[in-house]
Amino acid sequence: MANLLSNMLTPEFFFSILRISAPILYATLAAIVVEKAGFANIGLEGLMMFSALFGSLFSYYTKSWFIGFLVALVVGVLMSLLMGFFAFQLETDIILVGIAINMMGSGGTLFLCKVITDNTEGKAMASTTGLITSSLCIPNISIPVIKDIPFIGGVLSGHSFLTYLAFLFCFLTSVMLYRTSLGLNIRAVGENPNAAASVGVSVLKIKYIAIAFSGLMSGFGGAFMSMSYAQGWSQDMVAGRGFIALAAQAMGGGECFGGMLSSLLFGFAQAMGIKFSSVGLDSNLASPIPYAITIISLAVFGVIRQRQAKKPRTAEGT
Amino acid sequence: MTKKRQLIFSLVRGLLAIFIALVVAMFLIFISSEGDNAAEKLAATGEALKQLLVGPLFRLNAAGISFEGKRLADILAAMIPTTFTGLAVCIMFAANQFNLGAEGGAMLGAFSAAVIAIYYPLPKGVHPIVAVLFGGLVTAIVMLIPALLKVKLDVSEMVCSLMLNYIIMYIIKYLMNNYYADKSKGQIQTYPFLNSSKIAMLSSDSVISAAKLTWGFVIAIIAVVICWLFMYRSRFGYQIRMIGINQDFAKYSGMKVGFIIVLSQLIGGFLSGAGGAIEMLGRYPTFSWSALPGYGWTGITIAILAGNNPLFVPFAAFFMAYLQKGCDMMATYANVPTQLIDIVQGVIFLFFAAERFLAKYRQSLVVKTAQEEIAQKAAQNKEGGQANG
Repeated sequence: MANLLSNMLTPEFFFSILRISAPILYATLAAIVVEKAGFANIGLEGLMMFSALFGSLFSYYTKSWFIGFLVALVVGVLMSLLMGFFAFQLETDIILVGIAINMMGSGGTLFLCKVITDNTEGKAMASTTGLITSSLCIPNISIPVIKDIPFIGGVLSGHSFLTYLAFLFCFLTSVMLYRTSLGLNIRAVGENPNAAASVGVSVLKIKYIAIAFSGLMSGFGGAFMSMSYAQGWSQDMVAGRGFIALAAQAMGGGECFGGMLSSLLFGFAQAMGIKFSSVGLDSNLASPIPYAITIISLAVFGVIRQRQAKKPRTAEGT
Repeated sequence: MTKKRQLIFSLVRGLLAIFIALVVAMFLIFISSEGDNAAEKLAATGEALKQLLVGPLFRLNAAGISFEGKRLADILAAMIPTTFTGLAVCIMFAANQFNLGAEGGAMLGAFSAAVIAIYYPLPKGVHPIVAVLFGGLVTAIVMLIPALLKVKLDVSEMVCSLMLNYIIMYIIKYLMNNYYADKSKGQIQTYPFLNSSKIAMLSSDSVISAAKLTWGFVIAIIAVVICWLFMYRSRFGYQIRMIGINQDFAKYSGMKVGFIIVLSQLIGGFLSGAGGAIEMLGRYPTFSWSALPGYGWTGITIAILAGNNPLFVPFAAFFMAYLQKGCDMMATYANVPTQLIDIVQGVIFLFFAAERFLAKYRQSLVVKTAQEEIAQKAAQNKEGGQANG
């Protein structure tokens, strides 16, 4: 146990929390914005898988991580617009659209990977891990002054630029939601679409913008997964982060700052799981920890919400 | 709309959805096929499509087409677990509960039944029944977690059940690694099931036993009938469907909404667990799954295809098994990766669930019916100009 603690109180451990939290934070921001617009996008997992695959493939074929990164964003947005078309135009239940995207994101990406890389024969498990070298990954940035500060430098400096961007986006999304007319419209559509429509807001357009935003965020998350977190795409590499984000959104009360804190909590749980297995505990015992924490924290959040809901009522009664 | 028109509409809509999916599949096969020019690729695509559409039942070779009983038996055997998960999802979704736990449920049921099958010797005949019931019960109890959290604390059953799938998988892997694995084997697997626990083959015919088509198939069909009776001929089934249509209405008409929601997910859990258990005891000598089996996701597609009606589940399950077999055939004979099924499945799924898909056609049918009614009434001269459309 002491061994575990001394293992954990290192800059590397806190560094890994930030690194692990970044993709969850992107997906959480996606979940927050669509939730504000009044619906749930459970296809984040699949969107991230597609972005991760195409990001890594294009980075390999164009020999440029930046183009791969842009393609990941474009793929995320296009796929999410497709989801929007089915959900809003053809009135498919948005949850079912999400399930379909996740289905395609799981097996369909493997199909595309096999077909595009021509790794069909003999290899049951195709991936792009062999194609992506560290020069094709999104570069890490060391911050000039901070990197020399002991401990803090080790925690904060040297991350992929997408990690910094994730936390910046958390702030920007909050500004977008509460300080711009677009944000106002998104929230209005989510709270009462009829009222929003009556003052001339195009509900459909706002919903499309919201889902495209979630696609963009999934694009960032997916690019991070295959071009920074891991070198290359492999099957089911997103491993439930798209779902964990839904929980982080709920736990954070649907707000950006709360969502960031809950993303960090999940990052912490996952980093701890990795530490557990490094000191010899079975990783199968450590791996479910983030998922279990999700359920527990959702339950706790539910209790808190119920108490809050009860309070004003009793106050009125007395 | 008349019943006949409704049926025609459903058929046209379903066939068109499948057709669109096939066009998408054709495009994907085309880009994945081998050949130096477009003509060669097109020929290869044609061959692959033939395998996809006809291959599941017929052998294609130079001599022509010949029926393969083994392949039909394979398809029927593959239907068993997905029929169960399809039923499970039907009942849970009918109550408007997007519980996605059938995936983990099937694995948990299979594992629980395997434990009974290995460690608790019971008389032949009783043993598999006890093991399957146990597998179902354990899963039902675990399914209480999302159900109760939803009813009591309004926690999203969808997120909760998804998380449960992962937890179930890792805990089973942990138990396998540390307690149940047969260490003398290179691969992680349990000790073999006791002979008394195995589910018997449907007949001793060599084709049937090669395909491992067990009595589980008959049980699955019986389960379909029971589920249909439950959903459409019982009080609880009616309440489940009513809650799914309008929860507030159900609440204000005095139904115990919380209880019914929990009940629907308990039944769903039991069915998915039992399905996994039957699959495990019928087709495997030991438990060796190291990942989620995928039956739960297929079950969701099946429930959507069946419109949440248990009676249509076996047909949807047959269709999905046929498609899977077709994709396997394509992978074997035409070198098209078998994961194509996930894309085809997703496309069919999207169009089936789309409310507005062919809405104009439906509208025209409704108008036509109404106009005919008006004409009929005018002819009968019973009522004045007012006719309801």
